[in-house]
Amino acid sequence: MTAAAQPRAMGALMLSSKARGTVSAIDGFRTQGCMKALFPRRRDGVEAIVINTSGGLTGGDRLSLHGTAGAGSRLVLTTQAAERAYRSASGWARVETRLEAATGARFDWLPQELILFEGARLQRMLRADLAADARMLLVEPVIFGRHAMGEVLRDVGFRDRIEIWRGGAPLYFDALRMEGDLQAQMTRAAVGGGAGAMACIVYVGPEAEGLLRPLRALLPETGGASLVRPDVLVARVLACDGYALRQTLLPALDRLCEDRTGEGLPISWRL
Amino acid sequence: MVTGVRTATNTVRRRMPIDLRLLILTQWLSPAYPLGAFAFSHGLEAACADGQVHDSRGLEAWLRSVLETGSGWGDAVWIAVAARGERPLTEVEALAEAFAASSERLRETRQQGAAFARITSDIWTVELQACVLPVALGEAARVLSLDVEAVIALYLQGLVTNLVAAGQRLMPLGQTAAQAIVAGLSPLCAEIAARAVLCDETDVYSNAYASDIAAMRHEIMESRVFQS
Repeated sequence: MTAAAQPRAMGALMLSSKARGTVSAIDGFRTQGCMKALFPRRRDGVEAIVINTSGGLTGGDRLSLHGTAGAGSRLVLTTQAAERAYRSASGWARVETRLEAATGARFDWLPQELILFEGARLQRMLRADLAADARMLLVEPVIFGRHAMGEVLRDVGFRDRIEIWRGGAPLYFDALRMEGDLQAQMTRAAVGGGAGAMACIVYVGPEAEGLLRPLRALLPETGGASLVRPDVLVARVLACDGYALRQTLLPALDRLCEDRTGEGLPISWRL
Repeated sequence: MVTGVRTATNTVRRRMPIDLRLLILTQWLSPAYPLGAFAFSHGLEAACADGQVHDSRGLEAWLRSVLETGSGWGDAVWIAVAARGERPLTEVEALAEAFAASSERLRETRQQGAAFARITSDIWTVELQACVLPVALGEAARVLSLDVEAVIALYLQGLVTNLVAAGQRLMPLGQTAAQAIVAGLSPLCAEIAARAVLCDETDVYSNAYASDIAAMRHEIMESRVFQS
């Protein structure tokens, strides 16, 4: 049983939505390998629950996802459960995500938590390209080891990069690069202050300024929000563990998700 | 500190013009150069108010993280990228701005960059557009052929000096303890400069989450001394 003999998971998913009258419909859908999707009913857009059937990420895995919200449509993507990045025997797991929102479209990127396990090696890259008047809501929650299960991260490689472009120009970028003893790093006051979980939230749209105050009211003392551009709202939250992070994220994302139909977070977040 | 300064000094013995360049650099990065840095705490004011930083040990640890894995590291790389001059400056500026963690952080670097560009263009033979400070500094260093590693090391030391001075207004911190922090972090400034000078924009990141959150929380403080 050598490391090299382990099968590697490969998966790809492509999904696009289009406007049909006043509602959104699936335009194109294709999957490959370990990536699957479910489509629960949603009034205000196409909702897809992405499933990685390989059960978790490990060294050598390659996942890619390409989502497109076509002109005037809304596409809501989430995951069935938390994604797990397990110990890597060799090499890094790589996840690439491309999101596009055309004119008048809205893209909601709402994956559930990423859980890092001891020995994980994961590199993720997410690039979103927005039309000048497109809207986007994005969240990326990360759990740095499940402390309640006695999991402590002493040897992990985690690189994560988010690039949001609008009209071909950089709008909001965020990158982190943590290597080695993450437990020790998260203890540092200016890094994690002892937190075991973290999330960043980004909202792009003309409502951003109006959402700043209500969002701030929902954040704990270990979180903050700011309007980095007139229509770009960012927030970052630290929490002691995944449970506490959810207590913050559920109402906050509900508030940022809802539009005139009053539908909030995808149902998979509540299960 | 040791590496950057020693290189410059060795060269000074051979050629006079380098001496002048080093003096230009220390002028730009001296707290007396009127960029208005003293008005900004980089979120430190909020961190002190929230009890995350309250003494000299805590301040040194906080600043170490900002340098190593936070906005200090990012600024260092932006200076290097701008000084290399391989990409149009407007592109570099747009990328650097996209990485701003909060609106006050963006204002902090834009205001100082604009002041730097204005004053520097008036005095030296360099035409700088108003842009974020590390990018303006990198461009000026490129035009005047300054040692980029030294620019970065001095910039980071200037950042530390300014934030330690802010710390003195926010907590009981004596002059000796304050200067001990600057001295203690100087080797790190030099070490980061040596690494950053080889890096490009794909190497920019921030793991200083709590520092970035403090910068956001500064916006909601009811009474404040600093603008960030």
